[in-house]
Amino acid sequence: MTGLIVRRLLQLPLILWAVFTATLALAWAVPGNPLENPEGRRPPPEVAAAMRAQYDLDNFWRFYWSYLERASGVRWARESLDGTAASRARAAQEAGLPPPARPVFDLGPSLHYKDRTVNEILWASLPISATLGAGAILLALLIGLLAGIVGAVRPGSALDAATLGVALVGISLPSFVVGTALLLVFGAWLRWAPVGRWSVGAAILPALTLSLPFAAYIARLSRMAMIEAMGADFIRTARAKGLSEGRVVLRHALAHAMLPVVSFLGPATALAMTGSFVVERVFTVPGLGQHFVNAVQNKDLFLIMGVVLVFSTMLVVFNLIVDVLYRWVDPRIEGPG
Amino acid sequence: MPRRLLLPVALLAVALAIAAIADRPLPRADAVLINRGDATTLDPQSMSWLQDFRVAKLIYEGLVRQDPFTPDYRILPGVATSWDVSPDRLTYTFHLRTEASWSNGRPVVAADFIHAWRRALLPDTAADFSGMLFHLRGARDFYAWRARALAEFAASPPADRAAERLWAETLARFDATVGARAQGDHTLVVTLARPVPYFLDLCAFPALFPVCAPIVRAHEHIDPDTARLRTDPAWTKPPTLPCNGPFEVTAWRFKRDMRLAHNSHYWDPARTNVDTIAIPSIDDANAQVLAFATGAVDWVSDVTTSYRGDMLAAKAAFRLEHAAAVEAMRAQGVDEIEIDRRLPDDPRAHIHVLPAFGTYFYNFNCSPRLGDGRANPFADARVRRAFALALDKRTIAQTVRRAGEPETATLIPPGSIAGYQSPRGLPRDVARAREELASAGFPGGRGLPTVELLFNKDGGHDLIAQAAAACWERELGVSVRLVQREIKVFREDLKNGNFMVSRAGWYGDYGDPMTFLEPHRTGDGNNDRQYSSAEYDALLDKAADEPDPAARLAILGEAERVLVERDLPLLPIFRYNQVMLFNAHRVSGVTPHPRQDQILDRLDILGDGKGAERALTMSGGTEARTPGSDKEAQGSAGEGARRGEP
Repeated sequence: MTGLIVRRLLQLPLILWAVFTATLALAWAVPGNPLENPEGRRPPPEVAAAMRAQYDLDNFWRFYWSYLERASGVRWARESLDGTAASRARAAQEAGLPPPARPVFDLGPSLHYKDRTVNEILWASLPISATLGAGAILLALLIGLLAGIVGAVRPGSALDAATLGVALVGISLPSFVVGTALLLVFGAWLRWAPVGRWSVGAAILPALTLSLPFAAYIARLSRMAMIEAMGADFIRTARAKGLSEGRVVLRHALAHAMLPVVSFLGPATALAMTGSFVVERVFTVPGLGQHFVNAVQNKDLFLIMGVVLVFSTMLVVFNLIVDVLYRWVDPRIEGPG
Repeated sequence: MPRRLLLPVALLAVALAIAAIADRPLPRADAVLINRGDATTLDPQSMSWLQDFRVAKLIYEGLVRQDPFTPDYRILPGVATSWDVSPDRLTYTFHLRTEASWSNGRPVVAADFIHAWRRALLPDTAADFSGMLFHLRGARDFYAWRARALAEFAASPPADRAAERLWAETLARFDATVGARAQGDHTLVVTLARPVPYFLDLCAFPALFPVCAPIVRAHEHIDPDTARLRTDPAWTKPPTLPCNGPFEVTAWRFKRDMRLAHNSHYWDPARTNVDTIAIPSIDDANAQVLAFATGAVDWVSDVTTSYRGDMLAAKAAFRLEHAAAVEAMRAQGVDEIEIDRRLPDDPRAHIHVLPAFGTYFYNFNCSPRLGDGRANPFADARVRRAFALALDKRTIAQTVRRAGEPETATLIPPGSIAGYQSPRGLPRDVARAREELASAGFPGGRGLPTVELLFNKDGGHDLIAQAAAACWERELGVSVRLVQREIKVFREDLKNGNFMVSRAGWYGDYGDPMTFLEPHRTGDGNNDRQYSSAEYDALLDKAADEPDPAARLAILGEAERVLVERDLPLLPIFRYNQVMLFNAHRVSGVTPHPRQDQILDRLDILGDGKGAERALTMSGGTEARTPGSDKEAQGSAGEGARRGEP
């Protein structure tokens, strides 16, 4: 197991470097000037040229290497060693200010939110998305497994058809419809939930909206695996031992049915925790998901790279966690991951 | 479920519960506003979005301020108590008030303005509106010099580089060549390159606002590799951010909310009528309206929901029920917001349509060749006039837009600039349109290549383009192809001349016709139409040299006439409206003035027991400040005028 973890963590920088190179090449090719306010007037040509030079936007390779140097921590190490960092901290101290923030992995400034660095944006929004996403995954597990079990116990029954139907609706209904409907009913009419204000305590509606597609998927996965398990020899053996039906279903069949669900949970958790553009918009969640869309629209290169790198990291890490969990849940699984 | 899986799930649930308890929402602020979008920056020199300007006018104060409740957007003393203008109109001497102070207690001094203006004039901190300071003598040359010096630095061998020396040279050069000088702490002398009749108006614009020099300087350093001045944006965040306006920023949580509180160091404490303002970040148009409906929000600056037209229809029905009273009030000159305030409180009346300082129009590409080298039929003014004369603007404004926006034949919104007389423009005349097209060699549209109409996705531009194309095909016999692009691609296509006709819009930045006319000058960076007329350029130059304000405005009116009646590089369609949500019985301080930038410093929640508790209305005075008459502006700086009361 340790070997697996070490191997995957060693692969991570290589994966990130490849993702970074491919994404930057694509993002760079998108037409349009990231520094131009689409609503405003164009600055005089010399100002426009200076704005591009300010961020190395006038040269792909200069941008590529300087970004790589800062994002990989090389710049941090260099400045720590050659004394630049120390002298800057001293200058701040003399002015009576806290020392300047100096992240190891510096993902650069945001071109649209000019007062924020990409690190700041990620620090502000990732915990919120992660909290909401974790809640949504918990809800999805609860709803999905319940529906899956109910369906699998009596396959073909009316209850099974109903849960399958709900799962189908959950997968097909876009979250802007579900979200807006929930907001209208519980926010505007019943006034049980705040509208236009985010707090973790009031996150039940967005978490529910976010969870529904995942819940539907889990319901289908667990139902199929359960039905398969219910016909298997070890279930017959369990019944022959005289175990109660509930124990048979919950201990033996479910344990088997969990495996596909757990492997789905890896990418699903990474996806849920990095936020959803639609859910964040409808419920005013200050999360990460909106930046996947807005950053591209604004051609905010630094922010695009930042969110893509974070998402890639989370995907690798959660797949690793799932593989570890797999072995922990079912020690029979062996071999390289 | 297998017991081993329960542990991670339970841990997750506990962590969530702790997070929920730790994250307590703040209490509701006195006033809650939804701005046009999230503030992108609080650095006044870096701003380029309207939502940023709006916040800037609450937390900063320039040399002068403006009263949005006077028809002429009257110039009032700000940090400067008074100013003298030299007879050649080139030198302004501003006398700064000694009691002006930053929220950190430091005095506002002339050096703060110099520092701010120098930042704007450095290519290192390049920002959209740096060009506004190019009016200062020597400013443009200084900018070019520094840009050249930086480029030479980058090209020089690393051993020869001396970034600090270049910086010292830059500071010395700025002091020696740029027309901005501090004489002691409280006198600022500004010298312009040529007379700018609206210079005081610019002084109320965020790019010219001061910054607290000692704090900003502490966040600046010279990058030894590039010699560029780098500024750590940490200075724009509370509690560091120094404010010298009526409000200060107490919290700014990214994509969540911004909180403002009354600035106890502001020299005129009577100006503010609320103690705290919250500006939550709500992007979704629907959620904005719902938040307003639940009472969580007091003012929504832009309503963009798809059902906006129905909301406006409901308001029209409400107004109809009180038609007689409305007419009587209008006859007395009562402004539209005050009319709602005097009518019974009704949720249907909470939506407001206010004229904006901008025009929706179509660009015609005037260059002989298109971006891809094809011949361009719109290089001929007769073709442009034909398309302008044929367009049914009324249908577009009334049945496509449905926001009560009036069709227009001029570029500058009529009535928005005091003393300016708009030309008539070209009224719709389909018969004449066909004649013009025939005289250009395309009778009945024959021989004209397929017309490409370029517009950007979103914002409903597709519907307007469809209506325009259908109208031209019907009336002129031409064929039109619709070309839809993402906004960034659209902007590139405009810049490169890859269009025949394109969607466009323009909002004014300051109260002078030049803010609309300058972009049509030959070679101007915003002249997407590539329009070039020696006669038009000469009219702008003549106006610049004209000392008499009234005669100058008449010349500018003639220039606009050339645009909208003769040469038609653009086709004005309708004047923009701003659609807002607020209850006039509850909120005061939102102005119906056609400039519509909304300076909300005197915002008041009526009935909360704080502030003046008296609704602000447009002052009836019709006397116009003719731009350029600074003495008169100074004369109006009395106490009564400052409060904007009639």
